[in-house]
Amino acid sequence: MPAIEQISPVLIQSNISRAASDVFKTMLGLELMLGGGSGGTPSEAPRQAPGGIIETGPHIVGAVGFVGTVNGLIYLYLDLPFARHCTGHMLGMSERELDQAGDEVINDAIGEITNMTVGSFKNGLCDSGFPCTLTIPSILRGSSFSIEPISSVMRHTFRFECGVHRVVADILIKIGD
Amino acid sequence: MRYKILTVDDSKTVRIIVRKAFKGYDCEILEAGNGVEGLALAAKEMPDIILLDVTMPVMDGVEMLTKLKSDPALKVIPVMMLTAEGGRDHVLKIAKIGVRDYLVKPFKEDVLIEKVGRVIDLKPLSEAPSKSKSILDAADIVVIDDKPAIIQQIQEGLKHTPWRVHGVATQGEAIDFCARTPPDIIIVSLSLPEESAFTLFRLIRTNVKTKYTPVFALVVKTEAQQQQQAQTLGFSAIVTKPIDLGDLETKIAKAMNLDTSQRYFALEGSNLVMRLPENCSNPVLAEAAIYLKPKFSEAVDSGLNKVVIDIHQLKALHMGVIKLLFSAMQTCRELGMHFALVGNPQIISECKGFEDTRGWTFYESLEEAKANLGKAPAGAAPQLAPA
Repeated sequence: MPAIEQISPVLIQSNISRAASDVFKTMLGLELMLGGGSGGTPSEAPRQAPGGIIETGPHIVGAVGFVGTVNGLIYLYLDLPFARHCTGHMLGMSERELDQAGDEVINDAIGEITNMTVGSFKNGLCDSGFPCTLTIPSILRGSSFSIEPISSVMRHTFRFECGVHRVVADILIKIGD
Repeated sequence: MRYKILTVDDSKTVRIIVRKAFKGYDCEILEAGNGVEGLALAAKEMPDIILLDVTMPVMDGVEMLTKLKSDPALKVIPVMMLTAEGGRDHVLKIAKIGVRDYLVKPFKEDVLIEKVGRVIDLKPLSEAPSKSKSILDAADIVVIDDKPAIIQQIQEGLKHTPWRVHGVATQGEAIDFCARTPPDIIIVSLSLPEESAFTLFRLIRTNVKTKYTPVFALVVKTEAQQQQQAQTLGFSAIVTKPIDLGDLETKIAKAMNLDTSQRYFALEGSNLVMRLPENCSNPVLAEAAIYLKPKFSEAVDSGLNKVVIDIHQLKALHMGVIKLLFSAMQTCRELGMHFALVGNPQIISECKGFEDTRGWTFYESLEEAKANLGKAPAGAAPQLAPA
C-alpha cells in the first residue's frame, strides 16, 4: 500500500477538479472552472480569500468524510442563492416551490452534491491504491464562520468559478496516526 | 401491469430525482430511507427492481443487499446499485453479492432509465392520457432512406398534415435523431446497405424511448422476401414503393391511434357539419361510421341540434354511401336534430335514379343549407330540408 505522503497535491487537484466538474456538469448542466488552489503542506493554514473562505452573505457548507487507508473530510461551500439555484435545477422546483419546501430540501440537495463530489474524489484515491469508504453527509449553515482543522492534517483549498458564483472545496486529509 | 421500482437512499434528493426520471413511464416509485425500511418495503410490495444506495444510516446498502440475497422470497428481485461508492474493489465486492447493474453517481436520468429499461419492460405514459391525439396534432416522423427523392416524396405528400417529416440517410443518423427527438413514427427503407434496416429495427426495439414507437418498413412492391422478413421481425406496417401517400397517411394515423373524426365532422358556428371526401372507399366509410353516433350525440350534448350533411365533394354515389347517409339521417331523427343535405349536380342527379334516394332534397351550397337550417325553430321535429 502506498504511503499517504504519496498522495500528491497534483493528484488531489486533478481528482477534485474532475469530481466537482463532473458532478456539476452531469447533475446541474453547469460548467465549473478551477479558479485557484492553495495548501498542501502539514498544518499550513489555507490561503484565505478576502474575508476568509466565506466571503459575504449566507452560505451552505456540505461535509462528507472518507475513512479507510486514508482518512479525510471535504467541505463544499456554496453561497445560499447558488445553493437554491442548484437545488431548484436538480429537483425541477421553482423558487416558490423551494420556499414552500423549506431549508431541509436545500440542505439535502447540497448534502447529495457534496456526497457525489467527495465520492468521485475518493473513488480516484481508491483506484490509486488508497481504499476508503464514504461517511454520511452533514450540513453547516451560516453567514460568518470559519473551520479550524486539527493539527496533523494536510489542507488543500480549491476555488471554482461558475458564472458569478463561487464553489470552494476545502480538503482535509489526516496524516500520521 | 404497472411495474414497481423501489429506491432505497437516505437522500431525499436522490429519491426525488428517481421519481422525476420515471415520471413519464408507467411505473410506481416506492421509497425507503435506509436498509431496514428497504427490506420491509421489499417484502411487502415485491418490487420489480430495487435501486440501492450504499452509504446510509441504520442499515447500509451492503447489509441490505446481503440480507435480501439470503431471503429465498426476496433474492429474485433484481438490484441495481445507485451510489457514489465507485472504487474498483468496492464494486467487485458488491458485485459478488449479486447485483444486476451498478450505476455510479453522478448519473444522468437518461442512463438510469436505459439501465432500468434493460431489466423491466418500461412503457412510456401517453403525454395526455385523458385526451387522445387527433389528426390536427403535430407529430414527428423520421424517414430513413439513402435516396433523397423518397424522403422528398413523403415530405411533399404529407405536407397538408401537421406532421413534421424528417429525413436521414443512415442508421447512425437515425440513432442520433431518435436520441435527440424520440419520433412518433419511424419509416425505414429496407434497401439500406448491408441489411442495416434490420439492425436498426433491433436497436430501436431495445431502446426504452423507442421500443413502442411504430416502425414501418419501406420496400419495393416485388421484394416479397424482404417484406416477409420485416413482418417476421415485427415491423408495425409495410409500405410499398411506389408509395401510395393516401394509404401511408391512413397507416400513420392508425399506428398513432389518432382521432380522425375531424376528417368527417366539424363544429361550424351553430351547426355540426358532416363531410364526406371525394372518394369514399369502404375503409373511409367504415371510419366515418365509427364516429357518426358519438359525434352527433356530442353535438346534442353541447346544445346543437342542426346538422349539415355535405357530400358535394363526392364523385360517385354507391350503396355504401347511401347506407351511411341513411344511418346519419336516422341518428338525427333519434336525437331530435334538424339536418340538411348539400350535394353537387351529379350526385343530385344520381340520387334521382334510386328508389330510396329519389325523395332526398339538396342545397347547392353549405351557406345556403346553414341559412335555411337557421330558420328551423328550436325543438321543432326534425325534417328533410327542401331543395
